[in-house]
Amino acid sequence: MEISRKDFLKGAAGATGLLLLEPPAMALAKESQTHSGMAMLVDVTKCVNCWWCYAACKEYNKLPETVRPDPAQPPALSPDVWTTLHSVKKGDEWVSRKKACNHCTEAACVEVCPTGALSYNKLGFVQYDREKCSGCGYCAEACPFGVPQMEANKTTGVAIMNKCTFCHDRVTNGEPPACAAACTTGAITYGQRAELITEAAERINDLRQHNTEASVYGVDELHGLHVMYVLDDSPEVYGLPTEPEVPPSTIVRDVLRWLGSGLAIAAMAGFGLNYLVARLRMNRGEK
Amino acid sequence: MAEARTVERFKKRTIWFHWIHTAAFLVLLVTGAMLFLPGLGGPAAGGLTRSIHRIAVIFFVGAPIVYFILNPRMTLHFIKETLTWDKNDFQWVCNAPDYYFGGDEEKMPPQGQVNSGQKMWQFIVLATGILFVISGCLMWFFKDILSPTVFGWSVVVHDVAFLLALLMLLVHIYTGSLHPRMNESFRSMLDGKISKKYARNHYGKWYEKISASDK
Repeated sequence: MEISRKDFLKGAAGATGLLLLEPPAMALAKESQTHSGMAMLVDVTKCVNCWWCYAACKEYNKLPETVRPDPAQPPALSPDVWTTLHSVKKGDEWVSRKKACNHCTEAACVEVCPTGALSYNKLGFVQYDREKCSGCGYCAEACPFGVPQMEANKTTGVAIMNKCTFCHDRVTNGEPPACAAACTTGAITYGQRAELITEAAERINDLRQHNTEASVYGVDELHGLHVMYVLDDSPEVYGLPTEPEVPPSTIVRDVLRWLGSGLAIAAMAGFGLNYLVARLRMNRGEK
Repeated sequence: MAEARTVERFKKRTIWFHWIHTAAFLVLLVTGAMLFLPGLGGPAAGGLTRSIHRIAVIFFVGAPIVYFILNPRMTLHFIKETLTWDKNDFQWVCNAPDYYFGGDEEKMPPQGQVNSGQKMWQFIVLATGILFVISGCLMWFFKDILSPTVFGWSVVVHDVAFLLALLMLLVHIYTGSLHPRMNESFRSMLDGKISKKYARNHYGKWYEKISASDK
């Protein structure tokens, strides 16, 4: 088995006694998953606003039912709403993008999560272990798409995050996520990411023949999203940032961890040396 | 009877304050480190440590406030002394490396109630305390209002304060309890007393002042 660079860096870090740290060169070390793993392709031109994806998500994940959704007022993402629609009025019709976690290859939420509640699954999605969540809320602040949602008591600070899990137990058993399984029009397709990229390219070629605004989103963003979009317009129209990024403060924190740990270890070594030298010179002085 | 061989360096309430503040800080340090070093994150799952962090803050912020209310003049004197630096202090800092590595004690300019190194530590405690409280309040009470960018940098400010405080705390622990030259320092934070010899050698100016006022 080949050793990835990340594993190597981890090993090297462990060997130098900095076991508690992630290597800072996260962008460098990230395994190239751009064309690997499983993904979903969401095509706004095929969505008919039936909300079955929303209902299937609620049912499968046992989330409390709230209101009957309406494209004019779609429910916002919340601890109980993991998937919803971002609807745009075009002429007399509502065109909708399914909105949920995009399962980034380089995910800001995973990078900032201190407890390992958020992690990368081998299949390419961002895995969430609710049991491990401390409720710190770093992910909710860092996510460029505003996906993680906090249930929080401001005074006590007790909180927990919720978000789309990519139906972890379904996909690891070879089933599509509940939303994709429920979609009857082909607006949500589940499959190998590489194949979906090809499919997206074909669809966009067709669309561009009569619509030059049509675009694909998520192929390269953040080293590749595991939810990609075929759009009949520019990404901003559907609430997707053109240049999503992991916040720079995250990288500064990484540097601080290394700097701090290094200085603390150096200080300890310095004290040891200082003790020996001071003892020796003071004894000599007394003689 | 022979006159006492020791002098009072710290009052009982100061010692209490010191250790309550220390305990609160250590709890904050441990529960905070869990969100700082991902390798320590395990016990933070479930969020109990985040609640403990908030409880410890009550003592960390409350203790100095109570101390100030009970001893306003002593507290203000402490702050004033921390912030007052003259050329003696700079001289002390220049000679400090040799002194701490066992060099000649005579070269050190006589010190007041605390030496210049301790003043530096006190300054770090005050400065990082303020940074901790401001950035902490932002993250605790204003999370919903803050933009993600401001929140991100509040975390960084909290981290920077943590690293400064941690490094100086390590120095404080080492010099205050392990350094061969500071052999009476740790005990003085338990019973408040140091020998007259130690006082004369380490805090010459202060010792002269208190012995003069005794007469």
